[in-house]
Amino acid sequence: MRIFSVSHKTAFVVDHCPYMAESSRQLIECDMLTKSRSQGVIPLAPVSKSLWTCAIECSMEYCRILYDVYPTKKLVNYIVSDSEVHILNSWKQENQNTQELMTALAAVGPPNPRQDPECCSVLHGLVAAVESLCKITEYQHESRTTLMDTADRVANRGRIICLTNAKSDTHVRMLEDCVLETIQEQNKRAAGSDRLMPIQQCELVLVHIYPQGEETLVSDRQKKELSSVLSSEVHSVRAGRYLAGKLNVLVQQHFDLASTTITNIPMKEEQHANTSANYDVELLHHRDAHIEFIKSGDLHMAGSTSRDSGLKETVTLKWCTPRTNSVELHYCTGAYRISPVDVNSRPSSCLTNFLLNGRSVLLEQPRKSGSKVISHMLSSHGGEIFLHVLNSTRSTLEDPPSISEGCGGRVTDYRITDFGEFMRENRLTPFPESMVDAACRTPVERAKFQLERHTRYWPMIISQTTIFNMQAVVPLANLIVKDTLTDEDVLTCQKTVYNLVDMERKSDPLPISTAGSRGKGPKRDEQYRIMWNELETLVKAHVGTSERHQRVLDCISACRSKPPEEEERKKRGRKREDKEDKTEKNGKDTEEKGWTTDSERLKGVMEREKDEQSECEIIKDSPDSPEPLNKKPRLATEEQQPPEKSKGPVSLLTLWTNRITQANSRKHQEFAGRLSSVNSKAELYQHLKEENGCVDLIFLSHCVP
Amino acid sequence: MPTVVLLDSSLSMTRPVSVEGSEEFQRKNLAVHGMTMLFEHMATNYRLEFTSLVAFSSLWELLVPFSRDYNTLQVVLVTDGALGIGRGSLRHSLQTVKQRVDDKKFPLPFPFPSKLYVMCIANAEELQATDSMDNLEQLINLNGGEGQIYTMEGPLCLKSVQSMFGKLIDQAYSPFHAVLRCGNLTSDVQVFPRPEPVTIDEEVDPIPKTVQTDLEIVGFIEIGDISSPPVLSRHLVLPIAVSKEGDEIGTGATDDTEEETSTNQMAGKSPNFCVLLHGSLKVEGMVALVQLGPDWFGMLYSQADSKKKSNLMMSLFDPGSEPLPWLGRMSQLGPASDAAENPYGEDDSKSPFPIQPKHKRSYAQNVTVWIKASGLQTDVQKILRNAKKLPEKTQTFYKELNRLRKAALAFGFWELLKSVAELLERECTLLPDSAHPDAAFQLSHAAQQLKLASSGDSKYAAFEQNITPMLTDFSGGGGADRI
Repeated sequence: MRIFSVSHKTAFVVDHCPYMAESSRQLIECDMLTKSRSQGVIPLAPVSKSLWTCAIECSMEYCRILYDVYPTKKLVNYIVSDSEVHILNSWKQENQNTQELMTALAAVGPPNPRQDPECCSVLHGLVAAVESLCKITEYQHESRTTLMDTADRVANRGRIICLTNAKSDTHVRMLEDCVLETIQEQNKRAAGSDRLMPIQQCELVLVHIYPQGEETLVSDRQKKELSSVLSSEVHSVRAGRYLAGKLNVLVQQHFDLASTTITNIPMKEEQHANTSANYDVELLHHRDAHIEFIKSGDLHMAGSTSRDSGLKETVTLKWCTPRTNSVELHYCTGAYRISPVDVNSRPSSCLTNFLLNGRSVLLEQPRKSGSKVISHMLSSHGGEIFLHVLNSTRSTLEDPPSISEGCGGRVTDYRITDFGEFMRENRLTPFPESMVDAACRTPVERAKFQLERHTRYWPMIISQTTIFNMQAVVPLANLIVKDTLTDEDVLTCQKTVYNLVDMERKSDPLPISTAGSRGKGPKRDEQYRIMWNELETLVKAHVGTSERHQRVLDCISACRSKPPEEEERKKRGRKREDKEDKTEKNGKDTEEKGWTTDSERLKGVMEREKDEQSECEIIKDSPDSPEPLNKKPRLATEEQQPPEKSKGPVSLLTLWTNRITQANSRKHQEFAGRLSSVNSKAELYQHLKEENGCVDLIFLSHCVP
Repeated sequence: MPTVVLLDSSLSMTRPVSVEGSEEFQRKNLAVHGMTMLFEHMATNYRLEFTSLVAFSSLWELLVPFSRDYNTLQVVLVTDGALGIGRGSLRHSLQTVKQRVDDKKFPLPFPFPSKLYVMCIANAEELQATDSMDNLEQLINLNGGEGQIYTMEGPLCLKSVQSMFGKLIDQAYSPFHAVLRCGNLTSDVQVFPRPEPVTIDEEVDPIPKTVQTDLEIVGFIEIGDISSPPVLSRHLVLPIAVSKEGDEIGTGATDDTEEETSTNQMAGKSPNFCVLLHGSLKVEGMVALVQLGPDWFGMLYSQADSKKKSNLMMSLFDPGSEPLPWLGRMSQLGPASDAAENPYGEDDSKSPFPIQPKHKRSYAQNVTVWIKASGLQTDVQKILRNAKKLPEKTQTFYKELNRLRKAALAFGFWELLKSVAELLERECTLLPDSAHPDAAFQLSHAAQQLKLASSGDSKYAAFEQNITPMLTDFSGGGGADRI
């Protein structure tokens, strides 16, 4: 949709000449109560609205619907014309609301029947409307400024809706000619100005209003091009409900609206609280909310019916009483603001209040086949009600692979809870427009910087970290990621470090993998060495942030102890482990099913698993989270493993080959390289990559007797 | 977008292609070669695409039917451009396209958005020699210009058929690879189906916006706060393993070739940020806001297909600075920790969302509409009902009275003010003896004020002014009810 279409600017010109004070002759009985009560009282005479009152309330209704559906970017300039021009508001967004217009209209008051008709004319208003259409709106200005050299893409189009009482078709012609001439004049003037723009396209909608019971002097005329810039149409309408109906149709045409009737809304009766009756409420909204019906061609199937006016159609959707209040993320392809057609009626206000109180309602599309399709949802956000279009066609994304089948899908000890906490800490909130920080960063940029800081050291799995599994480290870990630290913060960090030193002195156990099948795990001093290394890694990542961050690192460096001979031990541990591995592996069955019953086998399987992990530089040794038992049989990486294993029945040949290979493999010791190879390719000098502390952990765990 | 491949299997497709010194090919063989290439590409790089194959000549046969409804489609027509003659031929059909009756409409344009790609096993010169090219172009035009005609360049041989299908693959089936980033945590991903370029306002900004290959998370929001936002499209975000050479080695789906199996095994076991993110989003009931380009955002969330299966999904919002009114401007969303006071409350009981608009909508502000007579009558009755319960209902009486007064003044409906004044005066005379003395005073005071307003005298007819209850000696009783 184009933002600068004809509907970007609407100039209302309402005739305020003496003849508009004439009665519409539509009588309204407002003395209702007396009839049932005292017989002796003579009822008051009914009241009737003037042509002016009819014009005002219908144009206000037009604006009400417009502002409900388009609170921004669709602008109205309201002009009243008699012997002079009264411009009631401007194109400014802040002026776009009905309250402001009502206030200004009250100041204008009804037309004065005693004013000299000779000096009064709607022409003044039409000229003012053309001038006003030339004025640039803040949106046009902003767009031109952003587009720079392509500013000419910003178009200037508009519509004039003139509510008047014309004398004849000739009079109408005269009004049209006047508008055309004024456009030509004003366009010349606008060409040389910064704040003005020539009008490229203008739609003139003349509505001739005449009292009920009279013959019209003006004939209806469909839209006609008067020039390349101006088109004009004439509507001759009786005052009262006909006029209201006409403007309702016009606002729908002008702003691409469509109507939906919510049916079967259960409402409690005021008098009888136990009974409830079903009501219908008609809503207007952008017609794209019906796009699925239009596309599939079953607009009529969807239960649309012609209404009284014969001009419009409404789509009927059935209310589905909400069962739960649970928050759900629906797949929604559009959300459009609504405006109730009959805003003050009891059913309308019951529905809107229900929604404004925070409930959502699903709407069902009635189908002839009887199948139930939920196609829409009504929901309010911040006091505005939206009609959400839910996807009811089947999607191409049906039956996608599960995330557990993809990369990283078989790892089971992700720090899900910790990352959840991380997400809560990095929730967003709106900031006022003016708020920019010292570095001129927008809030969203600050959010990205915060994420960067918080993720400088963030191990993804539990078995990759010690410090994040320790309650004692929490105060420091929470503070160190901050942009600025206070002296008090530094003190807290230092206390955390002292606390850790204390723990080490007392030889408190650390949440490092305690031994499952593999003995007791690393020695206590080794555990602390790993913990200190990791803590240093975390703090080092933030050391550049400020001098206070540096002080935290200094504190750690000063307090921690480093055993000197650890490198040597590491090497020894590695050799021993390799040996163990080979013996385990060679004597082992590839069948995994019964492994829980046999502790020896269990050990073997876990060794092999670990072996695979070291191949891809991943360490997964947390006994707290073993692989789930109900997993599909795993495909092993060994060369002799048939690739067809996952694909149904195994062929006789494969079975035979496997048996032979297995038998043979027992008779000789396999080369270490081949054992750890991938696709018969073994990587050389693997140890060069295994310099980090986490890898050390595994090998060392086997040094323990 | 699902794909239907239409293979021309008419006799002309068996015409031999003269290639010097090699074995003889028919056009059909070339077509099959090209299609094999397309299918192989899809099998490796576009696995989740739904594909169907239809062979046709003068009749057609649906070899593999679609069992689902789709709202978009890509159609690949493979033909030699020999249009046939007589009834049922494309030439005849196009000539008589306007004479068809409603229930036998020409299939184009399709009743759903679609792209029609015509792969000609012929070169452009050959097609232009007859009216074939014109007719094929007419097909594309009938489809609203959505689609393209590909012809073979140079001699008709395997190489040129490959290059032609290669162009189609680049155009329509190239996988979208990106890097998903959350600060320093990253994952290589394939986004499926690939996001297509979007144009919002072709007049102001005719250059289509494309999703950048760096998908940067900016922060997190509760599902309840984002509350079912409208989205342009949905895409699976599949983590992919990238080997050292930078080649993709698959998304880890199960039906891999033998060689891929072990590498995917490894990929499955190395921790991936997507899996972590997915798990936490699912557990916490949150979404991640992700930046797709300048002034363009989307959200990542866990999408459950069934109880067991769930996946990381990305939905794209409309491009622009404020796609969701209830979140406000996206660039103004910043870390909650920067706020002076925690906007979520210390116990997570509050939320900064939704943002309230400056002005209330009509249905939220008790507007006055008298288009229907019943609207006016109800408002008058409300006043009368309260008038009978004075002085207890003094406050509501004046509230309703002022509402009516304001509307009547704005609508220039002074006659109504006079009428209601008369009604109140009559009500005063009808008061029973048991009535509170204050009732009479309030009724005649209100009636008098309405009459003054109906004179249009600016002293009494000011819009912002309200009629206030009269202070009487009896007003002690209604004192608590005072405005």
